[in-house]
Amino acid sequence: MGRTSLKNKLILSFLALLLIVLVVVGIVNRVTDDFYMAQAVSAALALAAGIIFGSLFSKSLVHRLSSLSNVAREISRGDLSRDIPLLSRDEVRDLEEIFSVMVKELRRVILEMQAVSGQIQNTSRRLFSLARKVLDNSREIDRTARRIAEGSENQTLIVQKTALSLDSGLNEMDEMVRQSAETAEKANEARLRTEKGEAKAREILRHLDGVLEQMVAYTRPVFQLATKVEKIKLVINVIDDIAQKTDLLSLNASIEATRAGAMGKGFALVADEIRSMAENSKRSSQDIRNMIEDILDDNTAVTTALKRSQKGIDRGRKTIDSLVNTFSETVAGVKEISHAIEDVEKETGRQVRHLRGLLSHFQELSRLANENFVSTQKTTIATRNQEQDMVKIVSAMKSLSALSKRMMETQRRFKLDTGES
Amino acid sequence: MEWFIFKAADEHLGIEVGNIYRVVEDPAITPVPLMPSCHMGLTYYRGEIFDVIDIVRLLKEKRATPAGRARAILLKWSGKNLALVPDGVSGLLWVGEGKDTGTVYSEGEYVVRLVTPEQIWDQLSGLSYGHPEIPEDLHPGIEKIP
Repeated sequence: MGRTSLKNKLILSFLALLLIVLVVVGIVNRVTDDFYMAQAVSAALALAAGIIFGSLFSKSLVHRLSSLSNVAREISRGDLSRDIPLLSRDEVRDLEEIFSVMVKELRRVILEMQAVSGQIQNTSRRLFSLARKVLDNSREIDRTARRIAEGSENQTLIVQKTALSLDSGLNEMDEMVRQSAETAEKANEARLRTEKGEAKAREILRHLDGVLEQMVAYTRPVFQLATKVEKIKLVINVIDDIAQKTDLLSLNASIEATRAGAMGKGFALVADEIRSMAENSKRSSQDIRNMIEDILDDNTAVTTALKRSQKGIDRGRKTIDSLVNTFSETVAGVKEISHAIEDVEKETGRQVRHLRGLLSHFQELSRLANENFVSTQKTTIATRNQEQDMVKIVSAMKSLSALSKRMMETQRRFKLDTGES
Repeated sequence: MEWFIFKAADEHLGIEVGNIYRVVEDPAITPVPLMPSCHMGLTYYRGEIFDVIDIVRLLKEKRATPAGRARAILLKWSGKNLALVPDGVSGLLWVGEGKDTGTVYSEGEYVVRLVTPEQIWDQLSGLSYGHPEIPEDLHPGIEKIP
């Protein structure tokens, strides 16, 4: 159906009204000759027609505008469910269509906003949850970083202490190496001295053997003297026995002479003399025996002393022999010790070099541990800042969630139940 | 008058020389059982048997072990034979007349009690029987005949 503009409608209405007035005036003029009357009736009829046409036109226009204003009022109240009636076929129709498009657009926008706000709310919820998790994680990272920082600090301290101990141990090992060198030198010196001592001991042993042989040669007559004295003692025993028998014989002779009476007096004198001689022999032999006993005692003392000396020399010889063997063993032992000390010195030097390398590694480790400590401190600060930021983010998320709620609440005010949603 | 002097039990005894037959050294003594302890046994000398008496034990009942070889004084008187084993024999001593047996004569270092063989015999006769066992501490030089 074609559209008629309002201007054309007004022109057509005016022309129609004019036509009606002309028709009426013509009719009135035919009916009546009164001019005035005709003029009055014509005016009245024209006025009536104008009022009728004006009221009809204005009523049509007001009715449509009122319908639009009602719909706009409903929209202003949030009811977007109503459609705009398209009643007009003039310029108002454009207004109605534009208004209808606007309502539809508004409805679509609100629907989109609802969807977006729902998505925002869901997203904010997820973000809030994630932010919570991130916050918890950042707190855990903060705690872990603190522990790592403490561990790094302790590690730094331990490494520094270990490095100090290692350095001190290395100094002691250096001293040990130096002492080992000195000990090796002294062991070598001791070996030389021990070899000299061994040579001297062998010389003493040779001298002692000579002394022992001389002593044996010197003591031989002394032992022979004892044998001879023993023989003398036997001779003295024989003499003593003879004296005893002579005494007994002279005693019996005296008895016989006495019994012979005067005839035996001369014999008695002889017997007395013999007995006196026998007594003297006994006393002399006793004196000799005493002297021999003294000589034997002295000889026994001398031989005992000589035997003791000989035993002492033998013991000394054995001792010196043992000393020589000990010196030999000592020399061998000192050589072994010297070699062992040299080996120890070499090994200790090698260990010192290795430990020096280890010390430099420890120092590097200490530096790295210190850097770790600084890094963990920075990490701690960063995680704290992150935590604070996350707290702010969580706060922002809360605000966003609240805003999306408010938006949803605001959107709920709009009624969109048109079947399109 | 000459007296034969010998030492026994810390005293010197003198017996008249006429009673002395011989002085012998280390006689071979044969022990006789059941005799008094001072009876050392029997010895044989030149065809005669002598009772060997330890005069020290006879006088003191006990004696110390004598040093050296023992000498036995063989006595013969009135058809009796006796051999005395003293501590030692001193020799002959001239004692003036008038000194009878039983007296104690002192001269110089000697203090001698003069006895007769009969007195010794009488003292022996008064002894009881001895032990059946032969004493182990026989005089040195006296061998026990198994």
